[in-house]
Amino acid sequence: MDQRTLTRPPSILPLYARAAAPLVPGASLLPFVPGRGAEVPDVELTLPDVEPQASAVADYARVCGFAVRATLPPTYPHVLAFPLHMAVMADGRFPFGAVGLVHVENSITVHRPVEIGERLTLRVRPTKVEQHPKGRTFGLVSEAHVAGELVWESLSTMLRRGGGGDGKAEGGERGTGNGREAPAGTAAQWKLGGDLGRRYAAVSGDRNPIHMHALTAKPLGFPRAIAHGMWTKARALAALDGRLPDSYRVEVRFRRPILLPGTVAFASAAGDDGIDFAVRDARKGTPHLDGRVEPLQTKQSKQTSGRKRAK
Amino acid sequence: MNPKTRPVAVVGGNRIPFARSNSAYSKASNQDMLTAALDGLVDRCSLDGERLGEVVGGAVLKHSRDRDLTRESVLGTRLAPETPAYDVQQACGTGLEAAILVANKIALGQIDAGIACGTDTTSDAPIGLNEDLRELLLDANRERSTGGKLKQLARLRPGHVVPAIPRNEEPRTGMSMGEHCALMAAEWGIGRDEQDELAALSHHNLAAAYERGFNADLVTPYLGLERDQNLRPDSTVEKLAKLGPVFGGPDGTMTAANSTPLSDGASAVLLASEEWAAERGLPVLATFAEGQTAAVDHVHKREGLLMAPAYAVARMLDRAGLTLQDFDLYEIHEAFAAQVLCTLRAWEDPVFCRERLGRDEPLGSIDRDKLNVNGGSLAAGHPFAATGGRIVAGLAKALQERGGGRGLISVCAAGGQGVVAILEAPGDGATAKKTTKGGKR
Repeated sequence: MDQRTLTRPPSILPLYARAAAPLVPGASLLPFVPGRGAEVPDVELTLPDVEPQASAVADYARVCGFAVRATLPPTYPHVLAFPLHMAVMADGRFPFGAVGLVHVENSITVHRPVEIGERLTLRVRPTKVEQHPKGRTFGLVSEAHVAGELVWESLSTMLRRGGGGDGKAEGGERGTGNGREAPAGTAAQWKLGGDLGRRYAAVSGDRNPIHMHALTAKPLGFPRAIAHGMWTKARALAALDGRLPDSYRVEVRFRRPILLPGTVAFASAAGDDGIDFAVRDARKGTPHLDGRVEPLQTKQSKQTSGRKRAK
Repeated sequence: MNPKTRPVAVVGGNRIPFARSNSAYSKASNQDMLTAALDGLVDRCSLDGERLGEVVGGAVLKHSRDRDLTRESVLGTRLAPETPAYDVQQACGTGLEAAILVANKIALGQIDAGIACGTDTTSDAPIGLNEDLRELLLDANRERSTGGKLKQLARLRPGHVVPAIPRNEEPRTGMSMGEHCALMAAEWGIGRDEQDELAALSHHNLAAAYERGFNADLVTPYLGLERDQNLRPDSTVEKLAKLGPVFGGPDGTMTAANSTPLSDGASAVLLASEEWAAERGLPVLATFAEGQTAAVDHVHKREGLLMAPAYAVARMLDRAGLTLQDFDLYEIHEAFAAQVLCTLRAWEDPVFCRERLGRDEPLGSIDRDKLNVNGGSLAAGHPFAATGGRIVAGLAKALQERGGGRGLISVCAAGGQGVVAILEAPGDGATAKKTTKGGKR
């Protein structure tokens, strides 16, 4: 494996330029432009000594609906790892350009709450390319370690449309993926402003043009700007605030993009072994996201039913 | 610590007529209206220059400038300026919660007399700065250098002039209270006709109360209003049936008439120990016997937003050793006719009472002729924090007028909360002879 340790987060803008470069015909023939390889490179990037800043975390929490706490929102390490995602995908050996990839699934495992002030080491590596009914997928594994302890990990599944399968089965139409019914009804309505993509971009660093403005989203095939999938996941977890255990896995599938501005409905259903949740269009009911939280049966979560902050 | 409690008397009440939003009181602030309501009570109960133990009150829609609203209002009245005061806020339960707080201190002997009050305006409503502008200004304020401040101020954008207007919306569900109530009405199968009947009756009862002078020593005219502006004495079920739905979609059953209108007003109630009242020659209209609050999970368990009083009453009855039928009068705040009917139906429902209240038997029905006999919020209007005081004073007087008895108060509130209470008046009029456990207070 090609293991590289960075001394500072890669800067995003040049990465976007390289990520978008494969859109230019013939550009992939150049050695530094992704799009040539058939397989993802066996690479792992490590960024040590990442210390989340309380004020930046607060800004992020505000946009996503989390309470500002002494611990990180469960989706925040993903934001910290995002520049590494971009760096991995901007690698000249990478088979796809990052712009045009669709984030179809994300699974986050919170092993324990991370306190603000803890120093994180982030590791990001891609997983092998797999065939998918609508194209080809690969994964991006992100890990956060504190002094050698794995505290948080995430698997993002990215889809490159076309060039695979029979194109009939829709990736987003397989039920909830785990055979469960998405919860019905409306527990809450969220009115999403036209500037949500820009707001989330400002606190997450993810300035993909499809999220910023209708004018920048249109050339990429969207009639209007769309909400970030990870914002939607974060907002759903924020709605479950106070009901999440200390240690859990939360999986979501991103089904249809949320066009901005818009109104969506959130629903959740708690069972003995987890919480199912869904985000739909408020009027038409078309699914945007569905997901599930499952507690991890660790010693810690068995011993302390209350949250850490409740001590 | 004092191990004993003592009875708490409801001595008197006063309110200003309730106005419809953006009408007679559009220029009056919460403090103006609360001061007027308190001054009327001072007059009525001869409290000029009196140093009371405490004045407790609040408003639901509150300006940031109105820090210590109740204290500032007290300083504008003829009560002794040495009367302390504090603010409470529990959505539409604010007024009744204030009465419970004052009653508890009197019961414990910590104070001898106090006023519970509340005020709300939907006309002179607080409008916040645009949230982005507010953050920007705070950021600029945190900068030490002029250059730093200017750098922050350079972030100013034309869109920042759009202000933040308070929205009638549950923060965690994004749905208005009316939309929530429409869900309850659907869940409990509440029909349009029964809602309109309840609304029409509310107007008829309030109009009759005014006609026979019932409100003469409860209401003081203010800014040209002598009666509640929303009152329609000639309201009929037929007229109400013509209105279109405002909540629950095109097939909804909730209209502008069977939902309370936005309104402005204030109320105040004087509570005291029986000795304190006797020393001043003031009457004991009733005693404040019990108080209880409850809350439901309207977000995740999706209990009806306004169903908490159904739970609170059940718990209070158990504590007091009473049944739902042991009352001569019932005052159920009419946020919406549908919410009153949902509450009544829940108490009658064996499944609700078993599964959600944990009772073998349902609480049962009430005699509807004893419900809101002098009109309710649908007719009077509902300036949120002022409703509790209107009901406590009105019920105390109604109990005294009928020569004794026991009354139940139930108020639903935003956030899935409920505040309920029991008033009792001794006398032959009491048809329900049972006393609360240990003759409390």
